Amino acid sequence: MLTITFNAFSFLQKKLGKKNIEYSNVQMEIGSGISAVELIHQVQLELEDVEVVFINGKAAPFDTIIQDNDRVAFVPPGTPGPYRVLLGFKNKKNQPE
Amino acid sequence: MGKLLRVNTKEKSFGFEDVPEMYAGLGGRALTSKMILDEVPATCHPLGKLNKLILAPGILSGSPAADSGRLSAGAKSPLTGGIKESNAGGLVSQKLARLGITAIVLEGRPDSDEYSMIVINKDGVEILPADDLVGKGNYAVMEAMWKKYGKNVGVLSIGQAGEQYLKGASIQQADTNGRPGRAHGRGGLGAVMGTKKIKAIVVNDKGAARVEIKDPDAFKAANKRWVEMLRNHPVTGEGLPAYGTAVLVNLVNEAGAFPTKNFRSGRFEHAQAISGETLADNAEKRGGVPSEGCHPGCVIKCSNVYHDKEGKYLTTGFEYETIWAFGAHSMIKELDDIAMLDRLCDDFGLDTIEMGVTIGVAMEGGMIPWGDGKAAIDLLSKVGVAAPEGKIIGNGALFTGDALGVDRVPVVKKQAFPAYDPRSCKGVGVTYATTPMGADHTAGYGVTANILGVGGTIDPLKKENNIELSQGLQIATAAIDAAGLCLFIAFAVLDNDDGLPTVAKMINAQYGLSITPDDILELGKSILNDELEFNKRAGFTKVDDQLPEMFQESFPPHNTTWDFTTDELSKTLKF
Repeated sequence: MLTITFNAFSFLQKKLGKKNIEYSNVQMEIGSGISAVELIHQVQLELEDVEVVFINGKAAPFDTIIQDNDRVAFVPPGTPGPYRVLLGFKNKKNQPE
Repeated sequence: MGKLLRVNTKEKSFGFEDVPEMYAGLGGRALTSKMILDEVPATCHPLGKLNKLILAPGILSGSPAADSGRLSAGAKSPLTGGIKESNAGGLVSQKLARLGITAIVLEGRPDSDEYSMIVINKDGVEILPADDLVGKGNYAVMEAMWKKYGKNVGVLSIGQAGEQYLKGASIQQADTNGRPGRAHGRGGLGAVMGTKKIKAIVVNDKGAARVEIKDPDAFKAANKRWVEMLRNHPVTGEGLPAYGTAVLVNLVNEAGAFPTKNFRSGRFEHAQAISGETLADNAEKRGGVPSEGCHPGCVIKCSNVYHDKEGKYLTTGFEYETIWAFGAHSMIKELDDIAMLDRLCDDFGLDTIEMGVTIGVAMEGGMIPWGDGKAAIDLLSKVGVAAPEGKIIGNGALFTGDALGVDRVPVVKKQAFPAYDPRSCKGVGVTYATTPMGADHTAGYGVTANILGVGGTIDPLKKENNIELSQGLQIATAAIDAAGLCLFIAFAVLDNDDGLPTVAKMINAQYGLSITPDDILELGKSILNDELEFNKRAGFTKVDDQLPEMFQESFPPHNTTWDFTTDELSKTLKF
C-alpha cells in the first residue's frame, strides 16, 4: 500500500462530500502501481469530472503512475485564472487520447 | 461621434468638445492612455494641478454586447509615478456611453478645501457643493446619492483615503445594489480625484437615447454568438458563476505558487479555510449572494455578496486577490476577518491588493503580529480617522516598509504584487516586471497562447517561452481593456476559433467599420507603446523593469528562483 495526500477542488468537493469521501488534505492509502485515471475511478468520479491532475504541485498526464508520498489533486473543468494558460491546461496533452 | 466633457476643477466650470479626429475609434484604456500621454507632462507631480484624471467607457460599452460595461480611469499614478489605467465594472461606463460622453477629463486643482460633486444627466452637467459628504466613507456617500438621485444611478466616489491623498486610495463605483463594491483600485487614482476636490460623480442616463448601432442585424447575430460562447464555456458559464475568482485559492496553493508569509513559500496550510469553496458554503448557510454581475449585461457573474455569522451583510465583490493579500500573505486564516478588511477598504476607498500586501509588510516590521486578523482590522481602521499610523499604511507597501526599516517589500515600480509568486509562475512574473503599470496581474491575463501564436507547452517553473507569453498576454489585455470588455471573456475567446473575430464583428456592426482581429491586436500594441513612452518621459528605464532582490531566494515547494536578467526582460515589450 502507498500513502498519498489527496485533494479535490471546486465542484468536486460537493460531489465527493455527497458520497462521504473526504477531499481536503486527506492522507489516503492506495494500492501500488495505480495511475491517476484509476484513482479518479477509485474515488467514484468520472473521467470527465476532472480537467487537470496535479501531482506534487505540477499538472501531470492522466496516465502517470502514482508513487508513495505523492501529493495528488483533482481540478474540474471551469477553473479560471492565469494558470489555465501558464500551466498548460490548454496546451498539454494531459488527457488520454 | 461622442463628446469630451472637460471639467476645470479650479474654476468649477465645464465644457463639451468634439472628440478630435486623432482619437476617433479609441475608447477605454486606449483613450485614457493616449490622452494622458498627450496632455499630462510626464514629470509633473501626480498630486499637482498639471495631472488629469480621465474616465472613459470602452468602445463597446453601452451597447447590448455582453460583459462590455467596464470603465477605464487614467492619470499619472501617485503610487508609481508612471502612467496608470485602472478599470472597473459598475454602472457608470454604460450610462456615459448612452449620454454620448466618450470621456470625462478632470483638470486643474482648486485652491480652496471645498469639495464638489459632479452630476451628469441628459440635460447637462452640474457642479455642486459636497461639503455634507466630506469625511464620509463610500457606503454613506453612495447611499446618499441613490437616495437623492434615484436608484440605479452610476456613482464614482472617494472615501477618507482619497481625501487624504493617500497613495493606496481607490475610486469606488456603486454596484448594482448601490454599494461601493466595484473599485478602480490600483495606483492611487483616488488621491488624484481627492486633489481635484471632487468627492463624487453621479451619472444618470434616464431619458437618454440608446447607443447607435449602425448595423443592428449584424450586431444582434454577433452578440448572440458572443453570449452563447460565454455561457457554454466551463469557466465563464460554470466555474466563475459558482465560486467566483476565489476558487483560485486552493488551485494556486496546490500549484505551489500561493505566496505565503510575505512570499516565503508557495503553500498556506489554511488555504481551505479561506478558499472559494468555503466562501460559497458560507453564502449557502448564512444567506448572501454567491453569484452576481459587476455590471448590467454581465453573463459571467463572478462577484458575490458575503454575510457574517449572524447572517448580516458584511461585504461584496470579495475576490481572490483580496483574500490572498489579507489571508496567506499576512497569515490570517479567518475568512470573516478578511471580509471585514475588504469592507473597510471599500468604505475608506483603498486598493485591497496594496493594503493586504501592506498589512503583511507591517507584520514583517513588527507593527502587529503575523496572522492577527483583529489587529489588522484595528490598524486599517486608522485610515478612516486619519491617524498617523493610518497615513503610513494608506500610502502602501513600500512607504510602510520604509517607515519600519523593512527590506523585504514585494513591489515593482512601487506597486504591490498580486497573488501569484513570480518564481513558480514565471510568465506572470515577466508581466509584473515589465508592464508599464507596476506589478499587476491583470496587465497580462488569461488570453491564450494559441490565438497569439505563442504555441507549445509553457512550463511555469522554467524561463523558456515565458517572455513571449507575457508579451502576447499584455497586447491582448490592452485591447480588451480598450473595448470595455471584462478580462474573463478571454477564457471563452481562447477556446473558440471565432472568439476574437466575433469581438471584431460587434465593433464593426456598431460603428460601421471593417476591422480585423489583427487590427485589434495592433491596437493593443499601440496602447502599450503610448504607456511606455509616458513612463520613459517620466524617467523610467529598464532598471525599473525588474523584481526586488527578495525574489532571488529559493521558493518552496518547487525551490525555484527568479532568474531573468534585466536585458532579457527589456525585450518583452519590444515590437
